[in-house]
Amino acid sequence: MAARVKVGGWLQGKTVRKGGPASTTTTRSSTPQLQSTSSTVFGGGVKDASGRTSEYFSMDDQCPVCKSDRYLNPKLRLLVSACYHKMCESCIDRLFTLGPAPCPICNKVLRKLAFTPQTFEDLGVEKEVAVRRRIAKEFNKRREDFHDLRSYNDYLEEVEDITFNLIHDIDVAQTEARIKAYRAENAALIELNIQREEAYAQALKEQEGAERRERELRAMELRREEEEEREEREKGKREIIDKLETSDANAAKVIAKSRANALKRSSARAASTTVSHSNLLKSRAAQSTAIPDVPHVPLQDDWYAYEDLYGLRSGGYNDFMSEAVRKDREGIMRAGGFRVEEAWERALRSAVAALDLLPLSGANPNAAPTFKLDAGGDVVMASANG
Amino acid sequence: MDAVEKENTERQRRWAKDRKVGEGTYAVVYQGREVATGRKVAIKKIKVGQFKDGLDMSAIREVKYLRELRHQNVIELLDVFSSKTNLNLVLEFLDSDLEMVIKDRSLVFLPADIKSWMAMTFRGLEFCHRNFILHRDLKPNNLLLAADGQLKIADFGLARDFADPGYKMTSQVITRWYRPPELLFGSRYYSSAVDIWSVGTIFAELMLRIPYLPGESDMDQLKTIFRALGTPTEEEWPGHTKLPNYVPVGQFPKPPLRDLFTAASADALNLLSKCLIYEPRKRITAKEALFHPYFTALPYPTHPSKLPKCTTHLPARPLEEVNGNVEMNSSGPGVRANNSRLKRKLSSPVDDTKTRSIARRLDFTNQTPHS
Repeated sequence: MAARVKVGGWLQGKTVRKGGPASTTTTRSSTPQLQSTSSTVFGGGVKDASGRTSEYFSMDDQCPVCKSDRYLNPKLRLLVSACYHKMCESCIDRLFTLGPAPCPICNKVLRKLAFTPQTFEDLGVEKEVAVRRRIAKEFNKRREDFHDLRSYNDYLEEVEDITFNLIHDIDVAQTEARIKAYRAENAALIELNIQREEAYAQALKEQEGAERRERELRAMELRREEEEEREEREKGKREIIDKLETSDANAAKVIAKSRANALKRSSARAASTTVSHSNLLKSRAAQSTAIPDVPHVPLQDDWYAYEDLYGLRSGGYNDFMSEAVRKDREGIMRAGGFRVEEAWERALRSAVAALDLLPLSGANPNAAPTFKLDAGGDVVMASANG
Repeated sequence: MDAVEKENTERQRRWAKDRKVGEGTYAVVYQGREVATGRKVAIKKIKVGQFKDGLDMSAIREVKYLRELRHQNVIELLDVFSSKTNLNLVLEFLDSDLEMVIKDRSLVFLPADIKSWMAMTFRGLEFCHRNFILHRDLKPNNLLLAADGQLKIADFGLARDFADPGYKMTSQVITRWYRPPELLFGSRYYSSAVDIWSVGTIFAELMLRIPYLPGESDMDQLKTIFRALGTPTEEEWPGHTKLPNYVPVGQFPKPPLRDLFTAASADALNLLSKCLIYEPRKRITAKEALFHPYFTALPYPTHPSKLPKCTTHLPARPLEEVNGNVEMNSSGPGVRANNSRLKRKLSSPVDDTKTRSIARRLDFTNQTPHS
């Protein structure tokens, strides 16, 4: 974009060719080249796979504001406003250089920098793509963030609803409020998911890099091998000829012997290459792509601690066992870090542990669980009696 | 042969000892295997004869607690049997520990590796604490590493269950460098927070690659801690001056952790500082630690199978040869004398290569009639 260097030339009373040097050097082609005639770089637009924005234009383009068309101005370039109205670069320059101004079509206040190149012929599509991209940036929850499929589906439904409203300008203010509320509610999760996505992209990139390196290495090895093999063959041939020349043994025998030697050598070579290959795999970088690191899961066991069967009373307990802690006037138990809560919790858990297990059955079907209760209402254990 | 003996011999037959791999203060460790499957195991043979009043406490503790705990990050006790006068514990075979990895200068730790080790340590510890068991001897040496990279808490020789209210515990536990200040001040009433302090110092050690608070004596340990973290005030730790062995060791300012841990992330330092809070009741718990943002932030913890591993093999080799003859003549007072001499040898293994070779020869002559 060398043309941009000369911006401001008109202030010095010079004529500036805004097309820049490119237009002077290129030969005229049958289709008009899209060239910016404005001094502003317009960002945005939809990028294709190679990362470039491809811009839509047609021979029938006409600026709805100044009615100039491609016949009158082959360099006509139409841009799209935030309210999805097209106008040409010279109109934009004319209308918005002095600051925000109303759109000549719908009167919405626009800024010069908010114009984007047009990618799709249909502006409805253009708008939908932009809205969806904006929504996807924040509504990035995944299936794992929901405990059941239903709530995930509800969430997707809501996202679709918001998107639809924004595209068709229904209840815009209310919809924006909804987005804002969602953003406030899920800020941490949104951030986390963005990070996850970045990490995933990063991992993908690393993996690709490692694979490429490995391929290159393998190709190099293959080339080297072929080279060696070729040399080997040459050498073998020369040897046979030398031997045939110098010795007077049986010609067939000499050939067979050197063939056997060659075979042995080539198999040894094959073995050595597999070794070097396995060394390559051992390197840490190669390993890191083999098994992906997974996000931290705080607790990984399913050991049941009956935590749902009891709760500690908030005021604590006035039991005689913890008398010592209450008598601790100087606070040496407290200072040493003793937690009487842990003792209480342990007692409670012991009390409820295994309550959910059914009594053993089958051993004696007649002996239905009969408990003897003592005066205090506690179960008397069999062993305690006998 | 009564039923108990029969059962015992049956169990004994399931395991085979292959070679000796090391020796602790009260046990010899062998590498062995399960006869039926060929699975590698470690057999810890406890020297019973050495202790006058029956079995050593630590052996009882180890059996008592390991029998109850089964978790991915706690060493598994597979079986217990007795042979002649000895007690044998069959444990999972784990060939290296965190200390070896920290000391191996050829290994480079990524922040994600440290995160992975810390997560596994906290998971194992959380499981112990959920079962109301204090480990009381956490140090890199006791965090063993399996071949698949899983970290396992081992050595429950000093473990005990949470004390009942008003019940005194000993304050002489935990290796000094990893011992929390409340134990150094002689507190007899403490809780799971003592293990968290140890994990904090291990965390720091993983980042620094040298012990974080290496005190030379119990007194010096306090000084070292206060120099690193500042002297606690009555506000920071109410009541600590009333602890039994409290001594003022001088006033030190609190330097920011950032000065020492220049490369650590903010989350990592936050977790570290929460593990090293002076007031034990305010220290983070293992469960809270597992939910700390440090673990959920990027980078993700390294997958255990990719963690750095020691390539050099067991450094305990020479010691094992020195100690070779100890358990053979296991009765009588000779063992003790022998034992103390061995201890001297361990501290300076270079100067007596001659006695070592003799000890080895003795070992052989003794072993043949026995087996």
